Amino acid sequence: MTDRTDPPNDTSAHGDDELLPCGRPLSQVWDDWERHPDDTHLHACPHCRDAVRGLDQLETAVRDLRNEEADSALDTTTLTRRVMDLVRLELRPGRPLPLGGPAEDLWVMEAVAARVLRAAVESVTGVRAGSCRLRDLRADETADGAMDQGVAVCLDIHAPAGVSIPYLAEQVRERLLEAADRELGMAIAAVDIRVTDLVPTPADGQEGGAR
Amino acid sequence: MTAHTTTAPTALIKEVADTAEGVPGVAFLRPGVTDRLRSALSRPGPGTTGTPTAGVRMVRSDGDSPWCVEIHLVALRRTRALDVARAVRDAVEHHLLAVHPAQAAPRVTVTVTGRV
Repeated sequence: MTDRTDPPNDTSAHGDDELLPCGRPLSQVWDDWERHPDDTHLHACPHCRDAVRGLDQLETAVRDLRNEEADSALDTTTLTRRVMDLVRLELRPGRPLPLGGPAEDLWVMEAVAARVLRAAVESVTGVRAGSCRLRDLRADETADGAMDQGVAVCLDIHAPAGVSIPYLAEQVRERLLEAADRELGMAIAAVDIRVTDLVPTPADGQEGGAR
Repeated sequence: MTAHTTTAPTALIKEVADTAEGVPGVAFLRPGVTDRLRSALSRPGPGTTGTPTAGVRMVRSDGDSPWCVEIHLVALRRTRALDVARAVRDAVEHHLLAVHPAQAAPRVTVTVTGRV
């Protein structure tokens, strides 16, 4: 029970404060180091020097940790988002949708595909993607027994005000089809786009941003 | 209506899982949240890999019929999902035909359940 980290047996005089062998309470030594750096006892007493050195190391460690946290704030956010993405995928993966040709037994879950398509759509300046629902047309047998191929997309977007909606919709459709092919390898048979809101263009000049 | 199916031996499923996981573009086979928690809590010892067959299901109706292999995987974001799925299917088919040449060609289904 000689370790300094153990609580002292007699704490009546100084509460929880640790008493150094030289007779000074630890809190007073630390306080004096900051308020009275010229105190000759602090520099001469080996017990006080040890105590101050320990405090200095602790301060350095805390400062480094704080800087490290500040530097890695972005990484933490990214990691958290990716973890939550995976959890959401587990909870709501949606239905499997076909990849590749009609004879291939390859699939991607709806939530994965929707995320790719929504991100592509939002690369059009000023556009925010809302609901993105995908449907496997192979599962929709028509009345005469024929089956369509590919996937149908139903997409809601918020569009920037002051931009031609047909032009914007064409841009959105192009980005979506491009991403579906490049990132997924999914055949898209139809894209229905619904503009659910017009968002004012920022005053700092985003006019014509649907390019 | 209950079809009788046979599940593949764990060793064979492990072989298939290793083959699939070794394909470029595959981040990992799909362990569910429960699998992740279980593996995190159980802390398998050195030399073990937790639940190596998570993400692979392998059944057939009888001893002579081909294996039906279902693989669920998470692909790397920089890859094309279709290309990864095709590569995994081809690698698994090739492996099973190489190991068991006398058996009928397996039917391999690949589902991409995530991208990281």
